[in-house]
Amino acid sequence: MDLYFINKPNLDRLAKSLSKTYKVFAPVKSDNKRFYRKIGENGLGDSVIGEIRAVEPIKSFYFPARTKIAGYFSKDDSDKKEKPIAIIGAKSCDLVSFKVMDYVYAQEPFRDPFYISKRETGLIISSDCTCYGDTCFCVAIGIMPYPTEGFDINLSELDNGYVAETGSNKGEKIIKGYFKLFQSADSYIEKRDSNRKKLKEDLLEHVKKSRIPPKDSIQPAFKGKFDSSLWEEVSKTCVECGACNMICPACHCFILMDQKKENGFERLKMWDSCLLLSFARVAGGANPRKRLAQRLRNRFDKKFNFFPDMIGRFGCTGCGRCAEACPGKIDIREVLSKLQTT
Amino acid sequence: MMIENPYLPIKTEVLNVIEESPTIKTFKLKPEAPIQFKAGQFIEMSIPGKGEAPFTPSSSQYEKDKLEITIMKAGRITSMIHNLKKGDMVGLRGPYGNEYPLFEFEGKEILLVGGGVGLAPLRALFLALAHDIEKYKSILFCCGSKTPSDIIYKGSVLDKWQSLDKKRIKFRITVDKKDDNWKGNVGLVTTTLDKLDINLKNSVTIVCGPPIMMKFTTFKLLETGYKPEQIYLSMEKNMSCGIGKCGHCRLGNFYACKDGPVFRYDKINHIHEIWD
Repeated sequence: MDLYFINKPNLDRLAKSLSKTYKVFAPVKSDNKRFYRKIGENGLGDSVIGEIRAVEPIKSFYFPARTKIAGYFSKDDSDKKEKPIAIIGAKSCDLVSFKVMDYVYAQEPFRDPFYISKRETGLIISSDCTCYGDTCFCVAIGIMPYPTEGFDINLSELDNGYVAETGSNKGEKIIKGYFKLFQSADSYIEKRDSNRKKLKEDLLEHVKKSRIPPKDSIQPAFKGKFDSSLWEEVSKTCVECGACNMICPACHCFILMDQKKENGFERLKMWDSCLLLSFARVAGGANPRKRLAQRLRNRFDKKFNFFPDMIGRFGCTGCGRCAEACPGKIDIREVLSKLQTT
Repeated sequence: MMIENPYLPIKTEVLNVIEESPTIKTFKLKPEAPIQFKAGQFIEMSIPGKGEAPFTPSSSQYEKDKLEITIMKAGRITSMIHNLKKGDMVGLRGPYGNEYPLFEFEGKEILLVGGGVGLAPLRALFLALAHDIEKYKSILFCCGSKTPSDIIYKGSVLDKWQSLDKKRIKFRITVDKKDDNWKGNVGLVTTTLDKLDINLKNSVTIVCGPPIMMKFTTFKLLETGYKPEQIYLSMEKNMSCGIGKCGHCRLGNFYACKDGPVFRYDKINHIHEIWD
């Protein structure tokens, strides 16, 4: 956990250099939203290191929407050498989502080699949020708007550069390898800490109006509302598009799909949505969640009841992407508040 | 790749197809590399390029390099499987999930209750029990089918074993609806649970069948005096990956594919939606 300072031109040099060994991605702004873009020899350019999370969840890089995972009866050809992934500008909520993904995909006895190899070889240079989005509510569920763990290097943006904190051996090695790009952070730490404190306070103020129950009462409140009419009510505007699942950094469910290929067949692993009618259906038509309200409740059950029991934290990072993506205007914050009020 | 790819199917030859009933067939399979399953565990069977579905082998776990899978034509994949012929190639992955805890059944009076194609895992269990029959006090195998023509394993279990150890092994076979030639019991499989000649205190019961049959059989067993911890259920859920990752088969805090598919009823009776 060493602290350094890196100025903006030097971060650009670092990114350019990393792009020789990594596929480097950093967010750029478009239409007031942030999207990851691949960084090459041209460096960071107009990348936005601070501000808030990108539109895409970080799972897109480690567990892509569609991955070929097997051929049929042929030697596995999925280990062809690909450059590892480096993300610059991942946010606290993104890092928290790895807690869920790691639990699912690294769990014994069957570990997912595709996810694990990307995680093991990947590099994460995260950054503090410097503002909040309208749907952001991380602090309401105990997550800070700045990374506290799970990064190799974290950047806290200041006027002319960044406080860089190491979070892993890999991060330390990088900083040692590019030591001349870094300088002492001593005169910048106070500013970083006051920025963090201010943003946390502003965000706490922002989420107050959502009336989300205190973190520790969410799971008991959910249990108490299992048979409530709340789920029928909330599901009224759900159109079963699955956008909330796709955009969620902590939604890990997938479906295996087999298809024909030029020389044989291949098996794909694709993101799936628990809001879809077929999700839990078995051959013959039996389906434990025939009604949409049951499926919507299942989403909250998994996030706010299952994961707390399994890993001691929510399957939700407070990123607010689902509230932004939902065409039915179902807002996760409202649902959480209704756990306590209705 | 350092970690073994758990999604890779093993090339498997269809050795034989046995027509059990108008809707149910048993496929005798020989995988290129042996799949050493234990009764109760399941495998994922795939048709190249078409898709995959979970099935519990119905053959004996002691048969080393071959296995049998009994499949009802019920959906897209199972319809394609029903078109398979001797010599065709399929894919298999597994075995996955837990097995029937045979050691917990030792010295007990064992009641097996199966309905329709749900007899498949029970056949594997029955064959494992019969393999060491002296370890168990008795087996009563209650089998329910819709009509006499829907009865499966006529040649392989019923005829063969009915004549064997009569003292230890007994069968009760019933059909929901009889035909002109049927002389046996008529009624739902729950009716075979009337007048059980079993010391309930020293008994375990294992149930497998369609969801509605499992539900009413379990309730009937409870009514009869079985305790939840004496009842074992093979739960059918949508098990897609088979390894606790894809999320489809979640049952409360369990995944049917890795924590099941065999569950003792007292472990799951508090979970919502288990019978649907």
